[in-house]
Amino acid sequence: MDGRRLGVVTDGGFNTGLTVRLDADCPTEDLRIGDFVVVEGESNRYFSMISDIQLHVSDPRVLASPPHDAPPLVAQALAGTTTYATVEVKPMLMLDLRPDLGEATRPQRVRTIPMHFAALHRATEMDFATVFGKEGDRNFAIGTPVSMNIPVRLRLDRFVERSNGIFGQSGTGKSFLARLLLCGIITSGAAANLIFDMHSEYAFDKQTEDGRWVRGLRELLGSRVLVYSVDAKAAARRNVDVTLTVGLNQIEAEDIMLLADELDLTATTAATAGLLGDRYGGNWLRQLLAMSSDDLAEFCQSSGAHPEATKALQRKLRDVQRRAYLKEDVPFSPIDEMVTALGRGRSIILEFGRHDSPLDYMLVANIVTRRIRTLYRRKMERFEETRAEADRPPQLMITLEEAHKFLNPSAARQTIFGTIAREMRKYNVTLMVIDQRPSGIDAEVMSQLGTRITGLLTEERDIDAVLTGVGSRSFLRGSLASLDTCQQVLLMGHAVPMPVMVQTRPYDEEFYQDIRGSDQAKELPDVGIADIWAE
Amino acid sequence: MRVGEIVESNSTGFVCESYELNRPPALGSLVKVHVGEARDLYGVVCYGETGSLDPGRRAVRRSTDEVYDHQVYRESPQLEHVLRTEFTSVAVGIVERGIVVQGLPSLPPPLHFSVHTCSSEETILFTENLYYFRLLLRASGPVAVEQLLAANVREVYIERGSDEEWLREAAREAASLLKHDYDRLMAVLYAIQPVR
Repeated sequence: MDGRRLGVVTDGGFNTGLTVRLDADCPTEDLRIGDFVVVEGESNRYFSMISDIQLHVSDPRVLASPPHDAPPLVAQALAGTTTYATVEVKPMLMLDLRPDLGEATRPQRVRTIPMHFAALHRATEMDFATVFGKEGDRNFAIGTPVSMNIPVRLRLDRFVERSNGIFGQSGTGKSFLARLLLCGIITSGAAANLIFDMHSEYAFDKQTEDGRWVRGLRELLGSRVLVYSVDAKAAARRNVDVTLTVGLNQIEAEDIMLLADELDLTATTAATAGLLGDRYGGNWLRQLLAMSSDDLAEFCQSSGAHPEATKALQRKLRDVQRRAYLKEDVPFSPIDEMVTALGRGRSIILEFGRHDSPLDYMLVANIVTRRIRTLYRRKMERFEETRAEADRPPQLMITLEEAHKFLNPSAARQTIFGTIAREMRKYNVTLMVIDQRPSGIDAEVMSQLGTRITGLLTEERDIDAVLTGVGSRSFLRGSLASLDTCQQVLLMGHAVPMPVMVQTRPYDEEFYQDIRGSDQAKELPDVGIADIWAE
Repeated sequence: MRVGEIVESNSTGFVCESYELNRPPALGSLVKVHVGEARDLYGVVCYGETGSLDPGRRAVRRSTDEVYDHQVYRESPQLEHVLRTEFTSVAVGIVERGIVVQGLPSLPPPLHFSVHTCSSEETILFTENLYYFRLLLRASGPVAVEQLLAANVREVYIERGSDEEWLREAAREAASLLKHDYDRLMAVLYAIQPVR
């Protein structure tokens, strides 16, 4: 199977891809859409993907009366002569073979095509290693190609330096994939991580649909991972390190705009928050909640706010105020301490416990991230002045689920997440968004996602969305549509040299051993929580 | 074995008169002419005909209720002298000192030279390469080219001792040459099926 010859190039073009006529002894069923194959040209090797498979006949008369019950002699005579198959192949990378360049060459963008009758081969292990990199520090084996047993590696440092997305309809294993990636990123030290864990899935052991238990990141990685929670009760039961509270003083008008849908506010009502902010500054929410109806009337008079809208806003926010994690006045120091911990190489999982409604999730995530980015910007600015390595803020990756709630076209312009996604890595902060409705995400944000890992998507709009800004989209659609319902993904973008279909590795005992093994050398000292922030 | 003498000769083939009446070499079989020192011209029999020596006369019925088939010849021994059997061959190549070159000969074979059947070894050697199929498919004559090819494949298959591998190769070569003529191809493929 490895390196076997499949056929020869007979037609094609640079833009349309190459047509390869399959050899008579290579049946179409030996190949799959999305398979990694290699075209051997005279001066270059072209690493390519199969994008289509077609059947042909040399004489149309055979279609009118196909031989049925043909004796074997007849059947084998016809195969490959009167009847034959072709595959469409899209070159993605090319490697210069000229001998004077020696070992130093690396695969580069395709700028030419091979001549007629160049041979097509299956990719070998050597080809995978050439393209995807060998075993190494930041080359994380995320799985294998669908029909081979060779590891496909993701370049983690490239992965974290831009924002990314994990997509796929529900049940395709996005959270397992996220766990794999986070383990890889944390153990390799590619970035510090802040994970907004909406359903409390990542930190501790959890039982899956089919009844088995999977390890949590805290169990696997020990004190490299800190667990925060906004649910004090849950925190007491589980092994949570810090309980986080959020202050009314920390809520800004932009948060209300983001939550307009969740709070069931009209646009006017949401905009009223802005007017209050203008008048009362940081204190606007407490002022609003304390207002009597006279105060309200007076305010509306002077500011031009709509009275009904303002009343509605007050009513809704009084509901919100009752949440257990919200207090009047909370300092920013707990969040600042999070940043310190992140700066020292820890990763943080923020759980929500029973406060896992979209409203709570979005509110807390927005507030925390806003503060963190402000601090990061300050750090970055100081680093640019001093240029001392010690001042460089470490790469931070924020994992965000249900991303379409934060990054839909209206929210994306307003929230901190939209800003981070668009800024790329200006302040060393990037996002990892996990979502099953990529069509809900703003197109501009989507085009900024450097690496996209997609499981099966069936909605046309979702497929279109995920392929926004990716070259050679039409044939990738074929690959996307042919994915298995679970554990198969298409990787494309910044962290892989070319798109590739992958069977993701299972998140199981073998993986746990692997992770623990690679983590030994870099085990961080098991210190008490308070000591982490101590000087 | 000597089976005939060349009575017409041209670049694409030759016509022979058979030594034995009613027994020309088999349709599709290989025949050869010694044209030079260790140099043979090979042909494939593509037509056979038995009739009156005199082109103007046609054979008439000679059998009766008591005398028919072989007995007709016993009763009328003069028939040997007024009838003749002819066969036509397509030139397909030259074998010189064991080296086979398939294609039209540079010279037509000399008139009045003898034509021999080929032994099994000679047939096997010549048919290792199937290029000559192209010449058969371009032959002109009363026999349809696909039938000629089928006849040749059958004959050679038997001469090669029922060589299944060769038969498969021959089928594939035929399919390749007739890829644009499905009906002719099917005629060949079904005709060369070994009879079980």
